[in-house]
Amino acid sequence: MLDLILQTCVNALYASSYTALMAVGLVLIFGVMGIINFAHGELLMVGAYVVFFLYATFGWPFPLAVAGSIVIVALIGVLMERALFKPMRGNPLGGLIMSVGALFILQVATVDIAGLGLAKNIPPAYDGSVALFGIETLTLPRQRLIVMVAATAGLVLLWLFLTRTKLGWALRACAQDPEAAALQGISLDRTALIAMVIGAAFAGGAGALLAPIVQVTPYMGHAYVVTAFIVIIVGGVGSLEGAVVASVIFTFFDTFVTTFIDGSTAAILGLLLMLVVLVVKPTGLFGSAEKA
Amino acid sequence: MAHEARLGWLLAFAFACVAPNFLSVSMRDVALYMLLYIVVAQSFRMITLTGDWSLGHVVTMGVGAYASALLVKKLGFSVWIAMPSAALVGALIAYILSFPLFRLKGNYFLIGSFAAGEAIRLTWFKYRDPFGGPTGILRIPAPELTVPGLGTLDFSDWSLFYYLALGFTVLCLWLMWRLERSRIGLTLNAIHWRDLLAESVGVDVRRYKTLAFVIASFFAAFAGAMFSHYLGSANPNQFGLAVMLYVLVWVIVGGTRTFAGPVIGTVLLTALSEILRVVGVDEYRPAIYGIILILTILFLPQGLESLPGRVRDWCARRKGVVPAA
Amino acid sequence: MSKIRKGMKRRQFLGTAASAAAFTAPYVKRGHAAETVRIGFNAPVTGDVAAWGLPGLYGCEIWAEKLNAAGGINVGGTTYNVELVSYDNEYLSDKALTGAKQLVLEDGVKIVLQLGGTDALATAEFMTKNKMLSSTLVPSDLSPETTYLVAPCEVHPLYNSTGVEWLARNKPELKTVAMVTQDDTIGRPSVALYRAAFEVTGMELVHDSFFDLATTDFAPIMTAMLASKPDVLCFDTAYPDFINLLNEQAFLQGYEGTIISCTLDNYPVIMEKTSAAFLEGHIFQFPDFDDQALNQPQINFKNANDFYAEYTARYPGSWNAVSWEYAAILELWKTAAEKAGSVEPDPVLEAMKAGGKGDHAFGPASWWGEELFGINNALVGAWPVVQMQNGKATIVEYGDIPTWWEKAKDATIKHFEELGEMWYQRT
Repeated sequence: MLDLILQTCVNALYASSYTALMAVGLVLIFGVMGIINFAHGELLMVGAYVVFFLYATFGWPFPLAVAGSIVIVALIGVLMERALFKPMRGNPLGGLIMSVGALFILQVATVDIAGLGLAKNIPPAYDGSVALFGIETLTLPRQRLIVMVAATAGLVLLWLFLTRTKLGWALRACAQDPEAAALQGISLDRTALIAMVIGAAFAGGAGALLAPIVQVTPYMGHAYVVTAFIVIIVGGVGSLEGAVVASVIFTFFDTFVTTFIDGSTAAILGLLLMLVVLVVKPTGLFGSAEKA
Repeated sequence: MAHEARLGWLLAFAFACVAPNFLSVSMRDVALYMLLYIVVAQSFRMITLTGDWSLGHVVTMGVGAYASALLVKKLGFSVWIAMPSAALVGALIAYILSFPLFRLKGNYFLIGSFAAGEAIRLTWFKYRDPFGGPTGILRIPAPELTVPGLGTLDFSDWSLFYYLALGFTVLCLWLMWRLERSRIGLTLNAIHWRDLLAESVGVDVRRYKTLAFVIASFFAAFAGAMFSHYLGSANPNQFGLAVMLYVLVWVIVGGTRTFAGPVIGTVLLTALSEILRVVGVDEYRPAIYGIILILTILFLPQGLESLPGRVRDWCARRKGVVPAA
Repeated sequence: MSKIRKGMKRRQFLGTAASAAAFTAPYVKRGHAAETVRIGFNAPVTGDVAAWGLPGLYGCEIWAEKLNAAGGINVGGTTYNVELVSYDNEYLSDKALTGAKQLVLEDGVKIVLQLGGTDALATAEFMTKNKMLSSTLVPSDLSPETTYLVAPCEVHPLYNSTGVEWLARNKPELKTVAMVTQDDTIGRPSVALYRAAFEVTGMELVHDSFFDLATTDFAPIMTAMLASKPDVLCFDTAYPDFINLLNEQAFLQGYEGTIISCTLDNYPVIMEKTSAAFLEGHIFQFPDFDDQALNQPQINFKNANDFYAEYTARYPGSWNAVSWEYAAILELWKTAAEKAGSVEPDPVLEAMKAGGKGDHAFGPASWWGEELFGINNALVGAWPVVQMQNGKATIVEYGDIPTWWEKAKDATIKHFEELGEMWYQRT
C-alpha cells in the first residue's frame, strides 16, 4: 500500500510539471494582455506535431527537435500577438474571438498537413525507467523524468527572468497594473510580445516534451487547456506562484482519485474542488482581491 | 433612428413568417434551431450587460432540455407544463451556481462558469439513471394541443413547431427588451460601466448580477426545453464547448452594445455556416469560419451591428468631401 | 453538402500535386453508365470525433472511384455510377437530423452511412418513418423500433468474446483480470460483454473501472490496475490511441503477463515503444489489413490489400479501423442491390437480410440480435482471434459467436442490464 501511495505521488508530481507550464503561460498572457487564450491548447498540439515531424519523421535528435518546436511555436505566438491580439488592445473580448479563430485554423491546418487517423506515435527518445530514491518499486520512466526536469528548469528560468531582470520587472508591473505600467513608460506592445512569446514557448515546449508520451492528435489541446483553466482559477487571480502551486494541488488530487476511485469520478470531483475553493476563498489560493 | 429600428424588427418578423416558403426541408430545421438560438444568444447578452461573460450558458440550455424531458418521461408532466418548469429548474440551478461564481469577475468568471458547466455535463455523462449517460435521453415527445372543434394539433409537425418557436422567440425578445429598458436593465448597465460607483450609491451589485444571471438562465433553459422537444433527444455532447463557442462567437461578432447585435450575429453566422456547407469544403469549414471571424473583428471591432453606422459615416464623409473638391 | 467531386476539388484546389494525377482518372465518364445512384454519408468530418468519420469518408471515396472506374454497379440490367454525398454532422444530434433530412429528402440518396451513437440515435426515428436504409458502426444503437438501421460490419462488442474464449481454452492457468476502458457508448457495452465472458470462463475480475474520455496520462490508471496483481490485463474496447498508451504504461511499470484487448492498431509503433517480447502473445480481434490472408475468397472485401495500399498512399497518416468499415458496408450494400435488382432501400434491405444470412467482411454470417438488441439487424458471424506471434499479428482461429452466445446468454444480459445498456433500459 505504501508503495502504491508513493508511486501515485510520483505520478502526480510528473503530471503537475507540464500542467504548470500550461497554466503559467495562460496566466502570463492573461495578466499582461487581459486575453484568455483559447488557442493555448492548440499551441501545445502544434509543439507536439513539430516534434513528430522533426524527431520521428526527419530523425533530428530529440533535444534539437524540442528546441525547434519551441522556436516554431514561439513564432506562431509572435504572429498571433502582432496580427490578432495587438489590434485588439483594450478589447479583451475581441482578443477572445481572435483566439477562437486561431484555434479553428490551427486544428484544420494540422489535419490537412498531418492527416487524421490514429494518433501520431512518437517513439521515446529515452528508454526505460529509473528507480527513485533507491526504492526499486518506485519508478519513473526516463522520458517522463525529462519532462519533469525540463519543466522545472523552464519555470525556474522564468522566475529568475521575472525577478532579476529589468524586462522581467516591467512584465510583472504590466501584469499587475497595465495602466500604471504605461504611466511609468513601459511599452505595453513590447511586454505583450514577450508575454506571448514566453506563453507560447512554454505551451510548445510542453507539447514537444509530451509528444512521445501522450496521444498526439489535432484535437488533443482541449483536455490540457481545460485542466489549465481550472488550475488558474484555483491558483488565484493573476498569480504566477498560485498557478504553480495549484498545478501541484490539483494534479495530486486528480491522480489520487484516479488511482483509488476511478478516472471518471476524478473528472467531476476536480471541478467540484474548484467550486469549493471559490466558496471558501473566492480569490483563489494566491489571488489578491483587487485584481480581476 | 428608433423608427428605423422598429421598421427593421417588423421586416425581420415578416420575413421570418414567410421564410419557410422559400426554404428546403433541411433548411427549415436550420431556421427553427436558429430561432431558439436567438433566444439563447440574446439572453447571453443579458449576462454580459453587467460586464460578465459566462461559458456555461449552453449547458444551462441543456439543463432545460434534460429537465423538461425527464419531467415528461419520468413524472408524466404535460409538455406544456414541463417546458416552463424546466426553465425554472434552469433558473434555480443558475441561482445555486451564482454563489461560487459571482465571487469571480471578468475573465475569471468566464472560466469559472465554464468549469461549473462542465461539472454539470459530466454528471449527465456519469449518471445513467436518470440522465441516460452518453446516450442521453431519446424519444422525447413533441407537444400536442387539443383545440375544441379543430381536433388535436401535433407539434411534431414541422410547420406548427416553427410558428410555435417563432412566437416563443418574439415573446422572449420582447420581454428581454422591456427588461432592459426597465429600472433593472438600467441598473445592470450602470454596474457594467461603474461597478464601484454603483455600489457606493447603494446598489447591491451582487444581487443585480445574480438577477441577470438567473433571468438569462431561465430564457436559455426554456429555449433548451423547446429544442429537445423538437429534436426528440438530449445528450451531453449537444451542449458542449463546441456549441458554446459558436454562441459566444455569434454574440461577439454580432455585437453586444445594442439589442439587435446578438440577433444579427446569430442569423448571419448561421447563414454563413450553411453557405460554407453548400460550397462543399467540409473539413476546411472551421478554418474558413475562423478566418471570417478574425476579419470581422479586425474591421468591425464593435461587431456587425456597427456596420450600418460605419456605412452611414462613410457616406457622410464622402458627401462632405465631394463638394469641397 | 458536398458531392464526391468535392474530393477532387478539395485536394487539387489546394494544389496537392502528388495525388492529383491519381485522382482524375476515375472521373472520366464511361459512355454506357448513364444512371447515377447516390449514397449518403452522415458522420463527423470536423470536430473532436472527426477521427471516426473523415477517414471513413476517404475510404468511401476510394471505394466509389474504384467501382466507377470498373464500370459502376449493374442492377437489374441498368448500370449505375455511384455518387457519394456527404454531410458533416459534427457529431451533434441536431446537425445529424438536419443532415439526414437533406440527404434523404433533397438529395435522394438510397442508403445513409452513419458513425453510430449520437448521430444514428438521433436519426433512427426519421429513417424508419421515411423507410430509408441506414447503417451504424455501433450495434447497441439497435432496438425493436430501428427497423431500417443495420449494423452489418462491426458486431461490437460481441466478437470480443472470441478472444476471451481462446484465452481460457489455451491458457487455463490464468485466473485473475484487471480491466479498464473509457466511460462512453463504446466502452460501456464492451465492459458488460467482457464481464460476462470472464464470468462464464470462471476468471475473476480483480480490478474493473472506467476512466474519463479526456484522460491524458495513463500512469495512475496503470498503477491502480497493477496494484491488484492480475494475471491478465484487459484494455477492453478502449480507443486504439488509449490502448497504445495503456500498453506503454504496462511495459514501463514492469508488467510481463498476458494482455487482451479489442484492437492493437499500429502495433509496430507500440513495439517500438515497448518491446517485441512484451507484445508477444497479446490477444486482440483485428487482423492486419495488408495481411495476405484477407485476399482469400471467403473474405467479402475485394482487394483488401490494394485498398489499403491506395488509401495509405493517398491519405498518409489517416488510416484507422473506420477507413475500411464504412466502405465494407457499401460493399455489402452493392452485393444486396445486385441481388435485389434494385437500388431502392426496401428491396435492398430485403435482399440483404434474405434467409437471415449475409456476407460479412470476414465471411458468411447471420442476421442476429433479437435477444440482445431486440431486433435481428446485426450481422454476426465468425470473427478472427488474433495473437501477436513472432512480432506479427497472426489469426489463430475464427471464433464462433453464436455458440458462445448459447452458453453466455444469461450472463451477458445480466451484465448489460447492470450497466443499463439494454435497449429497454434507455431513458
